Amino acid sequence: MYSFGSYVRIRREALNADDKSMSVRQVAQRIGVEPAFLSKVERDVAPPPSEAKIVALAKELGEDPDLLLAMAGKVSSDLQEIIRKRPQLFAELLRQLKGQPDHAILYIVRQVSDGNW
Amino acid sequence: MITLHSDQLVFRFPDIDADVGIGINFQRTLRIPDDGSDHHLPPGLGRFPLRHIEDFDLGGSNNRKTRGGIIMPMFQSDALWLNFHDLGRGRAELPVALKIGAGKINAVSGEKWAAGLSQTPQNYVVLPGQPWLDGFNVEKGKVRQFVAMPLGQGYTVEEQIDPQSDVGGIQIEAFPMKKAVFEKLKAKREVAPAMHFNAMMPESASAPMDMGLGMGGSMRQEIYDDEYGLKAWDLENGLRCFIMLANAEQWMAVTGEEPPLSPISVQDYNEAGLPWFDYYDGDRKAIEGAKALGNIKSVKAVAQDKREPIWPDEELEPNGMVEKIIPIKVPDGSW
Repeated sequence: MYSFGSYVRIRREALNADDKSMSVRQVAQRIGVEPAFLSKVERDVAPPPSEAKIVALAKELGEDPDLLLAMAGKVSSDLQEIIRKRPQLFAELLRQLKGQPDHAILYIVRQVSDGNW
Repeated sequence: MITLHSDQLVFRFPDIDADVGIGINFQRTLRIPDDGSDHHLPPGLGRFPLRHIEDFDLGGSNNRKTRGGIIMPMFQSDALWLNFHDLGRGRAELPVALKIGAGKINAVSGEKWAAGLSQTPQNYVVLPGQPWLDGFNVEKGKVRQFVAMPLGQGYTVEEQIDPQSDVGGIQIEAFPMKKAVFEKLKAKREVAPAMHFNAMMPESASAPMDMGLGMGGSMRQEIYDDEYGLKAWDLENGLRCFIMLANAEQWMAVTGEEPPLSPISVQDYNEAGLPWFDYYDGDRKAIEGAKALGNIKSVKAVAQDKREPIWPDEELEPNGMVEKIIPIKVPDGSW
């Protein structure tokens, strides 16, 4: 299991092999942090950045923001808001589902309908 | 199952493998000039929003809801391309045969929408080998850009092939690789690092609600041959989705959301010094263009016939800045 920093570094370096705009300096500039800070994050010397910076970083890396946030030990603010609105209901739902396999959980996610065409 | 996630259609096939699937999003892009030249691939300027169609009152178009699926806003003359993804790093990549229709005209074969898959001519693309699709397959190595136009005015490809047709929209049907074939493929690939499938390209109020797709300018893009063969595909576990193209001018009234802005012009894009793209996969063989699409008139040609000045001047040429994109591969053996 990769740490947040090492995962970001591996992904960024893989992309940088083909796209030189994925250097530490340029990625840091685009997400609005100092290159030295991003370098420290990648070496797990500094803690992960803020939610907004992680979301921006996920976009740069072509990664799912929720995945990177989870690796950083965070939950996106929109999910927190959903839970805060109905805390008991969602807490119970998550506890009930925690042991279910992925495909079982996906069956309760809203699916795109198919009709007559 | 098909779900919506961040304006992306996610196709999963738990009967094949619980952990795999594909994502498809619809990228806004520049409309390339229809000037007789073959242009490079335009950029992705962000995803069109996608919503469940049954959530909205479509007024006079409510009968369209019986098709199910999703709704997506486009302005007349907006261009788009389809961006194909796997579901993330570290997961096995399930090969999928994907049929794409525009008003139930197959965009790859030019034939009317039919059940199943065909290789004579090939009527589908194969993922992950095909990273994106920008238009109708008119010639080997050449497509004509997908451009949204209102139905009922003779601009769309479907209306030119069948003047009575008013289906519109985009149709997608995905067939996964058969489980047994996929298991063999996975076993072989576990020996080597997974092949990266990085398809990220640097990423009037009374008008009819429904839109279809016409042909825009020409660009260089190959549609690849099926390296697996028809027997590899699981026709029993296909998933399909109808995407209604809603006139963006009515999007706000229907959904309460702001429609996406029209893309910037080619001139503005060039002046910003931004690149165009070229994709080359020398290991794959391109299929021939669809004969049935060879005689279809582009939107510009129809407009000229009708003497309707629907498009502004197109004298501007894309700049010469082209980034070549080459897929990352691992060796492939027999399996």
